[in-house]
This record gives sequence, C-alpha cells and structure tokens, in this order.
Amino acid sequence: MLTLHELQRDVARALIARDDAAAVMHVAADGLAPAARLAVYRNTVVAGLTTALRLSYPAVHRLVGAAFFESAAQLFLTAQPPRGACLDDYAPGFADFLAGFAPAAAIPYLAGVARLDWAVNRALHAPDADGLDPASLAAIATAGEPRLRFVPHPSVGLVRAEHPVDAIWRAVLAQDDAAMAAIELDAGPVFLLVRRAANGPAVTRLTPAAWQFTVSLCDGRTLQDAIATAGEVDAAAMLAEHLINGVFTAFAFDEGGGWQPMETLR
Amino acid sequence: MLPPSTATRLERGPIPARAGIGLRFPHHRVVAETRPDVAWLEVHTENYLGGGATPAWLDAIRRDYPISCHGVGLSLGTAEGLDRDHLARIGRAVERFAPALVSEHLSWSVAGGQYLADLLPLPLTEEALAVVCRNVDETQEFLRRRILIENPSSYLRYRHSVIPEWEFLAAVAARTGCGILCDVNNIYVSAQNHGWDASAYLAALPPAAIGEIHLAGHAVRRLDDGSVLRIDDHGSRVAPAVWMLYAEALDRFGPVPTLIEWDTDIPPLATLLDEVRSAQALLDRCGRKAGHADAA
Repeated sequence: MLTLHELQRDVARALIARDDAAAVMHVAADGLAPAARLAVYRNTVVAGLTTALRLSYPAVHRLVGAAFFESAAQLFLTAQPPRGACLDDYAPGFADFLAGFAPAAAIPYLAGVARLDWAVNRALHAPDADGLDPASLAAIATAGEPRLRFVPHPSVGLVRAEHPVDAIWRAVLAQDDAAMAAIELDAGPVFLLVRRAANGPAVTRLTPAAWQFTVSLCDGRTLQDAIATAGEVDAAAMLAEHLINGVFTAFAFDEGGGWQPMETLR
Repeated sequence: MLPPSTATRLERGPIPARAGIGLRFPHHRVVAETRPDVAWLEVHTENYLGGGATPAWLDAIRRDYPISCHGVGLSLGTAEGLDRDHLARIGRAVERFAPALVSEHLSWSVAGGQYLADLLPLPLTEEALAVVCRNVDETQEFLRRRILIENPSSYLRYRHSVIPEWEFLAAVAARTGCGILCDVNNIYVSAQNHGWDASAYLAALPPAAIGEIHLAGHAVRRLDDGSVLRIDDHGSRVAPAVWMLYAEALDRFGPVPTLIEWDTDIPPLATLLDEVRSAQALLDRCGRKAGHADAA
C-alpha cells in the first residue's frame, strides 16, 4: 500500500526534478494523461519560484532579460528548491549558482550584482529591531572602549565585489542607459554596506579599511580587534556614523571570554 | 481535538458577514490612504512574516479594518509533520496582527524538507485524513485558536483515493473542531474538472462549520487533445456559474463573510470593489430571506 510519505516523495520528484516515472502511476487518467495533469502543477511551481527569485534578484533579472533569467532559474530551482514556505528567503544560493553558470560568463559582474541584490532583499525583509540610541555613544565613550562588542541590526549586510556593482545595480533598476554606459567596469573593487533605512534600502560605499573594520564589528569582535584588523581607519568617526544609522542594536563589554549583550542604554 | 474553551474564544474585531477583498501589495497604498468602503480584508500570511515596510502597511491598515490571515505555506497535509519554525513565524504574525480569522488549506506543499510552492492535492485516504487531523490539531493547539480549512481546486485525482473530498473536509472539521473556508470557485473548478456535482458538494458540508466563503475568477484552458481544464488562477472576474453556486451556498449556509480574491494580473482596486458590491447584493438578499424566515 502506497503511503502518503511515498506519494509526496514521488510527486515532489515529478515537480522539482522533472522525473514523472513514479508519480504518473499514482494519478488517475480520467480522460487526460497523468503526465499532463502533473505538468499543470509543475508549471505553477516553476512560475511561482521563478517569480520569487525575480523579486529577490531584480537587478540580475534586468541585466540578463526575462528569457535568460527563466532558464537559469529553472536549473537553479531544480538544484536548490526552497527549504521553507517564506519565499522572501528564496534564495541565498543564487549568486553562487550564477558565478558557476557557464552561459553567464560573458557578464563578469553578474554574480557580484546578484550578491548585492540578495543583500538588499535581506535588508528589506529582515526582522524589525531598534538601533542603538546615538545618545548611548556618550556612555560608551566613558566606559573602556577597547573591549566593546556590538550586535549588528538584522538588516545589515556587507558586500565586497570586484566590479562597481552598486553603480550597475542603481543604473539597471533606474533603467538609466546613460549611467550604465558611464560605468568604468575595471575601476577596481567596491566595499559596500547595505542596510534598511527609513525610506528603503541604503547601499553605501566604504573604504577598504572602514569595510574591514565594520565586518569585524558585525562578526562580534571587540573594538580593539576591529581597529587592529582594519589598518587605516578613523574608527571613532566610522563608529559614530554607524550608530547614527542604526547599524548596531546592542553592545556589551568583553570581560575576557564570555560576554553578555546589553539592551540599548536609554 | 481543540478544547471547547479555546474553540469558542472571541477574537478581537470579528469579521462581519459581509463582503471583503484579498489585500495584495499593489493596493497597500491606495487602501491605507483612501480607506475604501469594504467590510474587511484578508492577507496571505506568508507575505507578512518579516520586518520592514510590508508588515508596517498592514499595521496601519488593520487599525481600520478587521483582518483575516490566510496561510498558503503550512502544508497541513504533509506526512513528515509540520515545519515548527514556520508555525512559530505564523504564530508571531498572528500575535502582531491580531486577525479575526486564521485559515489554511486542505493540501500539502512540503516533502523531504522542500517547499513546492503550490497547494498540492492529497490522496483522500484514511491515512491522509489522520495526518491532516494531527497537523490541524497541532496548529490549533500552538496558535491557541480555531482555524478554518479551505477546500482546494485540483487538476488530478489519485487512483487510491477512497473518500469523497466533501466527506474528507467534513471529517476534518468534525474531528479537530476546525471551521471550513468554503471556496465556491474551487468547488466549481474541481467539480468541472472531475465530473463532480457541485451542488451535492455544498449539500454535504456542515453549515455550522462554515466560517468564510471565497470567490475568485478562473481560466478555461483548452488542451492539445481538445479536452478542457479549468485553472484556478484568480485572474479575472467571478464567473457567472460561480455566482449562481454562491447564491446556492448562501441559501444553504446563511450569510457568511465572503472574500473576493484576485492574484494574477491584479486590476485597479475599483474592479475589486465592483465585485464586492455584487457579492454584497447576494449577501443582502440572503439576509432578508433569513429575516423573513425568522418572522414566519
């Protein structure tokens, strides 16, 4: 007797892996071939997941066009279907997939743009959290800064790319051909901070040192360590800017080993 | 089985037995700014699980309208058990938006931990009935409230199905204490696709369990071999035959909160409000009939 578990496994294989062999045996023909009936569902699944990817990767979609995007999405969703029902979370792996996708090799900056698209998508849908009150900077200044650690806002993402993907991302989403034409593709790498601001996503360029400093802080390293890893950075100015922009939601003092994040000081 | 104390718990801002619309992203702003004359709104729960601007729109809109949270991703028919992380996120959304109704589907969409992003049909067997009831029980216990379960539209039937869908749905309601979200368009689409009697389907549902009705448009697709399949695409006005079936449903169930859904090629809000007026006219007629019956 076919169990529900077996049936669902077989139908999933038909819809995602496009292997109908087992599933067609379970479906009544009733005047229409079982494979055609399963295809109705497969079309819905593929269309739904392709739309979810397009919403998460709008700049990639614009860069490659609908037809290319759909064929890449079909291959990707077969290899990496979503693991949960919240499609805002679909799919972190698409940028890496594009990086190894031979037909996309003619666009060397595509995977970088995809990483920025994903960081922006994450920023848009990340959980709500209050940023540290900038007034707490005063408390920090008097309280042994070197041992400070921070908790980043859930919307914060840090992207490093070999091409000016922020300029490309803005130009394609604005459909600004002149801006796109003016971009110098070999101008060197960019170091980006992505977060959710009051009026939408904010994508900011940092210096390499400021970016490394911010990465270290977001990884939970102490202020002292972050300064040491960053090299030439005006740590006080960068930290002040981050606090004003709500980049951190909590801080704590390292007591050598364990540490406990504190809520905002208000 | 849900304990009676929670099953009968009054929720905040009950949904009136009037016509509402499914709120979709393109209409957030116009609804928030113009406050159209519509009795209530329903959202797809999965679209409001994160933070940022999207749920903030709903925070604002729900101050003026009763809200229903209609889930599409819980996969109540899944053999491997519910995704507890997803259920927890639904729970947080229910806490945040305090909806008057919470509903889900008689379908499945998760297998092997993969989410298949569609409302897939179940084999209608005793095993599947037990699985659905277990998952509905778990959901109602976790959310500490009664939910409504919607009948799906379907394009296939499994060879080993033995229970008619209407009996399956009624059994889920009877065993778990859940209510039924009667999608009249889905009954029509499935009845046409499988050769069922739509009126008999309606007649088999327990009127006391009906908590909501859905109406939407569907597409008629002619296949290569000349056969016709009706596809529940929510991309047009409610079909005349579905309006007739809706009138029949109201005769049987009495006035029930009724939702107009539109998800493909979403039109201007005015078109949805037009459909709402059509539904409301039938609800009003039904209410008058009920009044006459009481008087007699």
